[in-house]
Amino acid sequence: MIQKIMDLLIRPDSFFSEKANEPENLKIPGLIVLIGAILAALAAYQVSGLTARIFSQAATAGMSSIIGIIGAISGLLGFIILWWLIVTGIFFLVSMVFSGKGSFKRTLENVGYGLVPMIFGSFVTLLLSFYYLPMVRVPVVHSIQDPAAMQQAVMQLTQDPSFREFTQVSTIIALIFLIWSANVWIFGIKYARELSLRNAIIAVGIPVLLYIIYMLYTIFAGFPIAGGA
Amino acid sequence: MKAALHATLSVCIALALLFTPAFAASAESEAAAAQVTVTNVTLDPQVFIEGDTGIITVEIANNGLQGVGIRRATLYDEDIRLLSNPYDTATSIGGGNRQKFIFTVLADVPEGIYYPTFSVDFRDAGYLRYPVKLQVQNDPLEISLLDKPDAFSAGVKDEVEILVGNPRDNPVNGVIIYLRGQGIDVIPSSSFIGNLNPDSSRKVTFSVTPEESTTLSIIVDYKNGINSHTETKEVPLTLGESKKKANPILSNIVVSYEGGVYSVTGDVTNAGLEVANSVVITAGEGADPQDPYKQYVVGALQPDDFSSFEITFSAEDVTSIPVLASYKDSDGNQFTSSTSVDVPEANTSNQKEPGIPIPVIAMIIILVVAIGGIIWYSWRKRNE
Repeated sequence: MIQKIMDLLIRPDSFFSEKANEPENLKIPGLIVLIGAILAALAAYQVSGLTARIFSQAATAGMSSIIGIIGAISGLLGFIILWWLIVTGIFFLVSMVFSGKGSFKRTLENVGYGLVPMIFGSFVTLLLSFYYLPMVRVPVVHSIQDPAAMQQAVMQLTQDPSFREFTQVSTIIALIFLIWSANVWIFGIKYARELSLRNAIIAVGIPVLLYIIYMLYTIFAGFPIAGGA
Repeated sequence: MKAALHATLSVCIALALLFTPAFAASAESEAAAAQVTVTNVTLDPQVFIEGDTGIITVEIANNGLQGVGIRRATLYDEDIRLLSNPYDTATSIGGGNRQKFIFTVLADVPEGIYYPTFSVDFRDAGYLRYPVKLQVQNDPLEISLLDKPDAFSAGVKDEVEILVGNPRDNPVNGVIIYLRGQGIDVIPSSSFIGNLNPDSSRKVTFSVTPEESTTLSIIVDYKNGINSHTETKEVPLTLGESKKKANPILSNIVVSYEGGVYSVTGDVTNAGLEVANSVVITAGEGADPQDPYKQYVVGALQPDDFSSFEITFSAEDVTSIPVLASYKDSDGNQFTSSTSVDVPEANTSNQKEPGIPIPVIAMIIILVVAIGGIIWYSWRKRNE
């Protein structure tokens, strides 16, 4: 199993060429996605804890827990839907331009395998959250009746130096591991959609490149981040 | 015989001559005394209280032309005691003249109506007796507490309104009201009302500043004639929270921390029924106020009115600090209410140094090199 994973990460071309001869199977990719989703959920729970602390004086302890659970569920579903289903759909659609022939299920399987580097990225991000988040100064809101006060508190949280640095570092790390995943995806899409290596690079590279540009723009321009592992 | 009859007649004539002037004079005196009448009786006080000493003045007038001799004049009764001496010196009242007789009496008797008798003993003309109506009534002045705060506060001036009424049938005079109690300061020290007529009343307002719970004695001194009397009413004076006083409430509090300085913003609302003057918001113990908002002066807050505020301070190793809202009432008494506000811990050991830490930068570089190497390796292996 470990040898298989090493092949996937270091020799993705040979890994997917072998997989192309095997029947389509979503069990292992599904397990990979589930592990990645759980790690994303844990990281989201950590960040949601900050939001819960904002309202700790205005809401009950039960409400703080609910905020954390909602954050965790959002992270879990976000990873599965965004990084597996939507990414697969984008690659599938783009590869249609190059007359890709493989099935959506095979594409889904290979994209799922390609999420292994991002699991490592989620793990590193989770470790970083334990370092950065305790240093974040969380503003406290004493009443949830005033939307302006809540908005101001959330704004103060996002402008906290530690929180901003955590956001930037975690985004950079996520992009590094995304590039690694993109490298795996190139070979995965090549075999899943029966494309040439050049077309596979284009089919994977363009969406990933656009996403990287968007993420770099948001973290340096300070706009809210949509998605991210 | 004739001589004897003559002698008898002579004796009778002689006797008649002897007694006729005296007889004629007595009849004449009685006729003159009959012209003497009581014209006026005054009592001071008009209505006595049991134990009171008073003065009864009886005025008589001689309505005839002839003077009338008076041997003695006095006042007597079984219950009402005469303190002054009767008029024992013989005198006379001329025709058309008036004369007053003044008696001091002690009415040490229960409530009721008494009739001491005024008596004049005329010389050679009998007596004049006249019953004088003297009423004894023990109804005291009525003290009513019209208004006072539900609860007094220590060191805070509050008003007490008192009504004094006179249910008696006669006016009383020299009425003075004052308050007494342990540990209280009263303004004015006393209130002089003076005369208080029957069935009338007067309101008096005192400002009371208590220092402790005590019994407030409302004392009314007055005079009924020359007699001093005192009425007292005691009411408990309990310290507590006033139900009407201003009550500044802090809400919508947001605490932020930047550059070693905490900033607390929020709203202060007067949830009381009285105006809160000179409202000032400050950070309490454990906080070191910093510019630009060491204190925030809100000013006057009407009931149900609110204002926003902002204070800035520094604090170390605290999880909460008291935010103090001080205000003054209309008399200048200062009050302070405290609201505990949780703040993020400002432990310097947990403080973020500016810039990305070197270990994190090193980790990013290692990741870039390692992943770059893996990618390069994956392409190299592909070409082999």
